[in-house]
Amino acid sequence: MTSISSRRLSKELMEIQNGGCPVGIDLEKADDFQCWRFSLEVMGESLYQNEKFTLQFRFDQQYPISSPAVQFVQTEGRQIPVHPHVYSNGHICASILGNEWSPVLSVIAVCVTLQSMLASCREKRRPIDNDRYVKHAPDNPKKTQFQYDDDTV
Amino acid sequence: MEYENGSLSFVKQIDWLERRGFLWIRRTRGDGDCFYRSLAFAFVERLLKAKDRGAAVQYAMVTLSESLQMLENVGFEKLVFEDFYDVLKGLVTNVVEPDNVLGKILDEESLLTAFQDNTTSNSIVMYLRMLTSAQLRLDPDLYSPFLIHSETGEPMEVREFCEHFVEATGKEADHVQMTALSRALQINVDVAYLDGRGTNGEVDFVTLRDATDTEMSPVTLLYRPGHYDILIRDDTSGKSL
Repeated sequence: MTSISSRRLSKELMEIQNGGCPVGIDLEKADDFQCWRFSLEVMGESLYQNEKFTLQFRFDQQYPISSPAVQFVQTEGRQIPVHPHVYSNGHICASILGNEWSPVLSVIAVCVTLQSMLASCREKRRPIDNDRYVKHAPDNPKKTQFQYDDDTV
Repeated sequence: MEYENGSLSFVKQIDWLERRGFLWIRRTRGDGDCFYRSLAFAFVERLLKAKDRGAAVQYAMVTLSESLQMLENVGFEKLVFEDFYDVLKGLVTNVVEPDNVLGKILDEESLLTAFQDNTTSNSIVMYLRMLTSAQLRLDPDLYSPFLIHSETGEPMEVREFCEHFVEATGKEADHVQMTALSRALQINVDVAYLDGRGTNGEVDFVTLRDATDTEMSPVTLLYRPGHYDILIRDDTSGKSL
C-alpha cells in the first residue's frame, strides 16, 4: 500500500509541475518523497534584495498529518537568512511548522508563508537565544519545542 | 470505575446515567482529537446499527458528497482533503459493500481495528476538522459571537479562529466546533456533561439537532472536563479506541 505521504506528495508534485510555483519560489530537488528543496527569493522591496535562499523539507510517512521538518540550508552561494525567527543553523521558529501545523497547508503554502515572513522583516538580526539554541539544537527542528511569543516580526 | 472512591457529585451523576440505560463508555484516546475521533467512530457505528443499513448509508453518502463541495466553496484545495475523504468514504461504503482487501463487510470489530490504525483514524479526524472549519467559514455571522480565543478570551475573526483552533491538529473542540460539525454532518448529537455540577446528580445534556435522516438515533458522547468519550446505551461492551 502506498503511504499517505507519498500519495499526497505525488499530487503536490504534479500540481507544481503543471501549474508552476508562485513568483520567487522554485522547486530545485524532489527526487523522492523524503526530502525536497526549493529556492526562495523575496520579491519587491525588502531587506533581502538580491539574496536567494535554499529551503529544505523533510517528510515522514505520516505527512501531511504530521508536519514536515522545514529549515533553511546553506548551499553553494546561498546563506541562511538573517531574521529574528531564523537560527543560524537554518531552523525556523514559526507556529505553522509546530503546534499550529495543519494538513490544509501544502508545501507551497509553507513556502509562501516563509517568503512573506522574510518580506515583512524590519530588522536583520538573529533570534536573541541563537547561540544557546544552536549549540544544543537537535538535527531535526521538529524535535525542538519553540515558544511562539512574538507575532509582530 | 475511577470514580468509585471519588467525588460524590460525580458518582451520583454516573448512577443517574446508569438508571437511564447508559451503561458503557467507549474510551477515546486522550489527545486533543478526542471529540472528532469519538464523533467519527459513533457516526459510522450508528450506520452499522441502523435497521435499514442501505438507506442509512445512502443518506450519509449524500451528506458526505455535499461536504466535498462545501470544502471547495470555502477555498480548500482539493489535494488537501481528497485523500482524507476517501478514507471516510471507504469506511462508510464498507458498511454495505465488501472491501477490496478482505472482501468483507464492515462489522464492529473491523470498525474498531480501522480506528486503532493511526493513519485511518487521523485521516478521518482531519476530514472532520476541515468540515467543521468549512461550516464556520460559510456562515461566519451565525458563529461570530462564539469565536473566542480560548486563552485570552478575545474575539477572533473566523479565518483566524479556524486556523488556530479547528484546522490545526490536536486542538480541542469547544461548543462552537461541536455545533458546526453536527450541522455539517447533518446528525443529531447528545453530549452528557459529567461535570459534578448537576443538582441531585442530574446530568445536563447538550442536544444538537441537525439530522435530516429522522430514522437515526442521536450520537451520544460523554463529556468530562477536558475529554470526550462515546456513551453507549445498550449492552455492547466498550473497548477502547
